[in-house]
Amino acid sequence: MRHVGAIAGRELKSLFTSPVAYVVLVLFAVLAGFFFLTGVLQFQDYVARLQAFQAGEQLAELNVNDHVIAPFVHVMGVVLLFLVPGITMALFAAEKTNGTQELLLTSPITIWELVIGKFLAAAAFVTLLVALLAIYPAILFWYGDPELNKTLTGLAGLWLLGLAYAAVGCFASSVTRNQLIAFFLAFVILLVLWMIGFVADLGAASGMGGSLGEWVSGTMRWLSTAEHFESMLMGLIDTKHVAYFAAVVAASLIVTKAAVESVRWR
Amino acid sequence: MIEARGLSKRYGDLVAVDRVSFSVQPGEVVGFLGPNGAGKTTTMRMLTGFVPPTDGSATIAGHDIFADPLAARRAVGYLPETPPLYPEMSVEDYVHYVAQLKDVPRARRRAAVDRALSRCGLADVRRRVIGALSKGYRQRVGLAQAIVHDPAVLILDEPTVGLDPIQIREIRALIAELATEKQGDRARTVILSTHILPEVEAICRRVLVISRGRIVVDQPLAELTRGGASLEEVFARATAREPVEPDAPAAEAQP
Repeated sequence: MRHVGAIAGRELKSLFTSPVAYVVLVLFAVLAGFFFLTGVLQFQDYVARLQAFQAGEQLAELNVNDHVIAPFVHVMGVVLLFLVPGITMALFAAEKTNGTQELLLTSPITIWELVIGKFLAAAAFVTLLVALLAIYPAILFWYGDPELNKTLTGLAGLWLLGLAYAAVGCFASSVTRNQLIAFFLAFVILLVLWMIGFVADLGAASGMGGSLGEWVSGTMRWLSTAEHFESMLMGLIDTKHVAYFAAVVAASLIVTKAAVESVRWR
Repeated sequence: MIEARGLSKRYGDLVAVDRVSFSVQPGEVVGFLGPNGAGKTTTMRMLTGFVPPTDGSATIAGHDIFADPLAARRAVGYLPETPPLYPEMSVEDYVHYVAQLKDVPRARRRAAVDRALSRCGLADVRRRVIGALSKGYRQRVGLAQAIVHDPAVLILDEPTVGLDPIQIREIRALIAELATEKQGDRARTVILSTHILPEVEAICRRVLVISRGRIVVDQPLAELTRGGASLEEVFARATAREPVEPDAPAAEAQP
């Protein structure tokens, strides 16, 4: 595993010498700022209205965590759906168009080192994005009194979600030499994983019952990234959610390794 | 130093390389000739471990490419037909990265990079971005990448293709120099593929001709051209499409 650092380091460096990293960082910061500001303003407006109606009971129930931080982190999870594929699309696809795949596969490195190195580079970038995002809720600690644990759990959820996205992005990049295809493939996989829980809910609502239907919708819900992410946003840190994201990462990297290896056998 | 034993590569019904066997002694500089599509690149890719042979095996510097692939790859410096470069990296960073991949020990890495850069005449452009270099310089970076770990075997796939005449002369001189360079206590082994005959005459001492996937000539250059025949005649004769012999199953498999 001694080549992992070299591979990840090169990848990160090249991400930051190309405009991609900066474009993604700027888009992310701008969107985060926008959603945070609108979230805070809406909350303020809501509080003012409740005060005007003297709805003391409801006012007491209000808290910054559930009404500002969680929705904000949630919407940024949706933003990552677009941005992470942009970061990962080049990982393997560019090696094929550069011809550097031939260098990598004739070097004394293992394919696992290559795949893990690439994934770690994307993971480091995701970590940077989440760290950047954490600044916004941190501001609220200055002015208000949010719950620290709940906030951190939500951010951890976003981070795990981002790691899962990075791993799926690795896979998408490993099956094509076209970066645009890698982007859309990753995006569609991630969107399906995100939505599949809602689809299950719709199915259940339209009365597709029975024990089989229940089993299917349960599985679909379990497969859904949104389901696990949202649980963590509510402050539930459960090993089953962590295990889910770890499983998505592991499964994606295993198929990525197989895809990279397959060029040898074509 | 290189021992190929019945190397074959089939893609479906197409036989790209058909039971190729040859051996190259340490310090030999071998020209690997053949028309386009004869199987030169595929053979080199099998030797370097990029694609596994369908049949047969090879030993590089004593390491079998199947039994000990990492050690075999460590012993090889390889310049593919298109140099494997990252256009956004600087020359120095790139060669340093390759040194890491090829297991040059950390303590010697700096010196190995410097040596490779100066050997390939890249000292002046070491901080330049590869994408901004001319084709001739990119080829030099490709060569620097191939020699940075001081490999016992150097495999070069059409190293002068697409260069202008001056660049060709420079790269050829550089290869001739690298070929005479000592690797440890003995001279380096070089296999060079090309279809440019003067290149072979300028650099190589032994010639392997491959035609439709099979080795048709394997002789020292001096012996080949002894009767006054030019290498061109030898090449034309060896690669001429002889009628399909009934006892040559592979020739039948050819499209």
